[in-house]
Amino acid sequence: MVWTWRPNRNTGGRSMRRLKPITVMVAAGALAAACGSASTATSGGSGNTGKVGGKLLIDNESGSTWTCQFNPFNPSVNITSIGFVYEPLEFVNILQTNADGTPKVTPWLATSSSWSSDFTALTMTIRSGVTWSDGTPFTANDVLYTFNALKADPALDLNALWAVNSGPLTGVALQGSDQVVFTFNAPAQSYFYYVADQTPIIPQHIWSSLDQTKLDTAADTTPVGTGPYLMSNCSQDNIKYLRNTHYWQSKPGHPVPQVAEVDYPAFLSNTSANLYLAQGQAQWGAQYIPNIQSYYISKSPSTRHYWFPPTLNVSLFPNLNNPLLGNLAVRQAISMAINRSEVSQRGESGYEPPANQTGIVLPTYQAWYDKSLDTTSYNPSKAEQTLQAAGFTKGSNGIYANAAGQQLSFTIKSISGYTDWDASLQVITQELKAVGIQVTVQDEDSDPYTQDTQNGTFQLAYGEMPVAGPGPYYELRPLLFSGSIGSTNYERYKSSSTDALFNQYSGATPAQQLQIIHQISTVMAQDLPLIPIVEGVDWYQYDTTSFGGWPTPSNPYAQPPVWSTPDNGVVLTELYPVS
Amino acid sequence: MRYVTRRVGLFLITLWAALSVNFIIPRVMPGNEASAVLATYRGVNPAALHALQIEFGVNVHQNLILTYFQYIANCLTGQFGLTAQRVPVLTEIAGKLPWTLALVGVTTVIAFAIGTLVGVVSAWRRGGKLDGILPPMLFIVATFPVFFVGLLLLYVFAVTLNWLPLSSNYSIGATPSLTLPFIGDVLTHAALPGISLVVVTAGLWIYSMRNNMITTLAEDYVKMGRAKGLPSWRIMIDYAARNAILPNLTGFAMQLGYVLGGSILVEYTFSYPGLGYLFYTSTTDHDLPLMQALFLVYTLAVLVCVLLADFLTAGLDPRTRDA
Repeated sequence: MVWTWRPNRNTGGRSMRRLKPITVMVAAGALAAACGSASTATSGGSGNTGKVGGKLLIDNESGSTWTCQFNPFNPSVNITSIGFVYEPLEFVNILQTNADGTPKVTPWLATSSSWSSDFTALTMTIRSGVTWSDGTPFTANDVLYTFNALKADPALDLNALWAVNSGPLTGVALQGSDQVVFTFNAPAQSYFYYVADQTPIIPQHIWSSLDQTKLDTAADTTPVGTGPYLMSNCSQDNIKYLRNTHYWQSKPGHPVPQVAEVDYPAFLSNTSANLYLAQGQAQWGAQYIPNIQSYYISKSPSTRHYWFPPTLNVSLFPNLNNPLLGNLAVRQAISMAINRSEVSQRGESGYEPPANQTGIVLPTYQAWYDKSLDTTSYNPSKAEQTLQAAGFTKGSNGIYANAAGQQLSFTIKSISGYTDWDASLQVITQELKAVGIQVTVQDEDSDPYTQDTQNGTFQLAYGEMPVAGPGPYYELRPLLFSGSIGSTNYERYKSSSTDALFNQYSGATPAQQLQIIHQISTVMAQDLPLIPIVEGVDWYQYDTTSFGGWPTPSNPYAQPPVWSTPDNGVVLTELYPVS
Repeated sequence: MRYVTRRVGLFLITLWAALSVNFIIPRVMPGNEASAVLATYRGVNPAALHALQIEFGVNVHQNLILTYFQYIANCLTGQFGLTAQRVPVLTEIAGKLPWTLALVGVTTVIAFAIGTLVGVVSAWRRGGKLDGILPPMLFIVATFPVFFVGLLLLYVFAVTLNWLPLSSNYSIGATPSLTLPFIGDVLTHAALPGISLVVVTAGLWIYSMRNNMITTLAEDYVKMGRAKGLPSWRIMIDYAARNAILPNLTGFAMQLGYVLGGSILVEYTFSYPGLGYLFYTSTTDHDLPLMQALFLVYTLAVLVCVLLADFLTAGLDPRTRDA
């Protein structure tokens, strides 16, 4: 059966994980339960074969045609420039941890980095021998310039690094000729990810001639970077990249990158992108494909694979300012009434695994998980007992109410067009109804939805954080820190002890950080400020017919979807043509 | 002359009203560009909200009256600024306009030709076989929403039979050029959206044309023509159809608004990258400058067509000039 789905939001780096069927009748089949297990591939990460060649096609719905701008600080276009053309100082892999639980870091444009003992100064040694694609040498001055540009034009500071943009960064300076020192107004370990991995370095000799206060509107149609690829040709419907023959990782007998050409077509619809993948025309997919087993894998099971690593929780957010939802017993009852496996199977075809109440996404952040803290359980009868013990009585309509007669009847806000969420919420509605809690789903456009969740004008909301980071901290802090009320702390959780834990994190040792996350897991498991339901995943498909070296569950050397930057650049340096 | 000045005056007043509505509506829509970017693009740190608000001037409070006059001035001078993706609005529109213009233009002409012709012939042979089948059938189809017809065609010809492409304006990887294979590729991609538009609009032409024809055929000058022994095709075309077509010409302009509106739905259904699809994405992205410019383009297209139709009617029918 062919499916015609249209994602609600354009992806292409657009956040299209949720999908909307354009044709009800085309989609009006039963959602066949599909195999949710990830397949494993044989390829490893660092298998340089010494050969160069091939043309790799990327398949990722962009939702709109390309604008042929490559400004790495423009969130609507930067997925086509970061990783390909622009590179970070160090690569932080959010899917891999060292033995002590810290994320795995690979030096990139910097060769090393070190923190001062109080974690308020970060010194980075800049790599020598790297050149910009126009032949100009890359120096520490370019790094200095990039970070100063974020200060000169606050619209570029997308990770809010600088103190003027409410971040901790207060200064950046050269030390000697090849070192850059970042100074912070507080311990700032957690900002390492944003400074080292999430900030692409731009060439001073090109960008300094532009209006420094309007760099955010710079078109950058012919990007000059240090990355493995050169943007060769761009039209509305395709971007063609050719390998950078002077790439700094290349050595005699060890060419990097090995794939000669990369094409990135603009796909306006999920359907056309899925069809292109299924026909075997593209090799690297970041697509949601319903019935992936029959539609994609079965056409060439030995070469086609998928892997959906979970990175974020999709949760039910109770508005804690609501007197009924502010009652712990009600939240416990809701959590116990929901069968997360059922939601995962029926709402997400099993592609998104069930979540747990500690807030730690598994298996991705396994190192941070402590099973003894986990309180997740599906137990409808205990849910009712909890409500009764808290003084709620079941009315004649089967809905529990408190002594004042207030019924446990709520609306859940969700985003219209996110059909998988609608299906999940249907399961949740039925399960809550079974324990005497009535919920009604209210779909909104994503824009008003964002405002309502931020402003707290909702009773319950179904949602997730937009980005993951190297560890659960990067998801849990935006969710629970009281300073994030009004932005990402939808449920309006406020606890000075939890805030203190988050504040300690950036100055703590790895062992202490693990302790902190365990304590926050305890808060999640005992206080239930929000109720994780399933784990959101990265969609990723790959075909080994022409290329090897893909990230796999056994070798998760980078976040695999092509829109994940700068991970895409790491994947591009690892891929090799097979004959 | 008085007729022309009056029409032009009315055109200007309507344009001003449309511009003002265009100014107000996007401003009362919930949400803003900064939160739309966060909601739209993947992997953007929520902390970027601050940066994005600065970029799009979300929290900058401006004098509304002053903004209004600036906006009118910008509209008149064609300065539409940058889209939320930081592309000049005019570049973006210029890139998509040809596709919609070709799609809507060609389908409207085809629908007009088919509808008018079938109307003429079926009225001429009133009660005949053709008259019994085509007009009722097409008129029923014309009441279907255009996206419904589009989805139906999509399901039959693209999904089930796999004869025609599902979406887009040409094959992925094809290089635009004036060669036969590429033109063929474009035509196969335009077929389904085009047919959807023709099918739902042709019926309306038939209806009005057939009715006008029947009235006209009862006129004395038609009888006179017959009495003179003129060939029947000449009576049909020169005597009857020429007079009966007048209301359809005015309708042509009215229809254009309907077709343009329909093209938004059709382009969305078929992911056809024209103005309609752009309109859709600009709305979901809360892209104020793009939305306003597109609205202006659509309004202008309809208003100009209405104006031209008025002039054309005046040229064809002397009676209207005194009105």
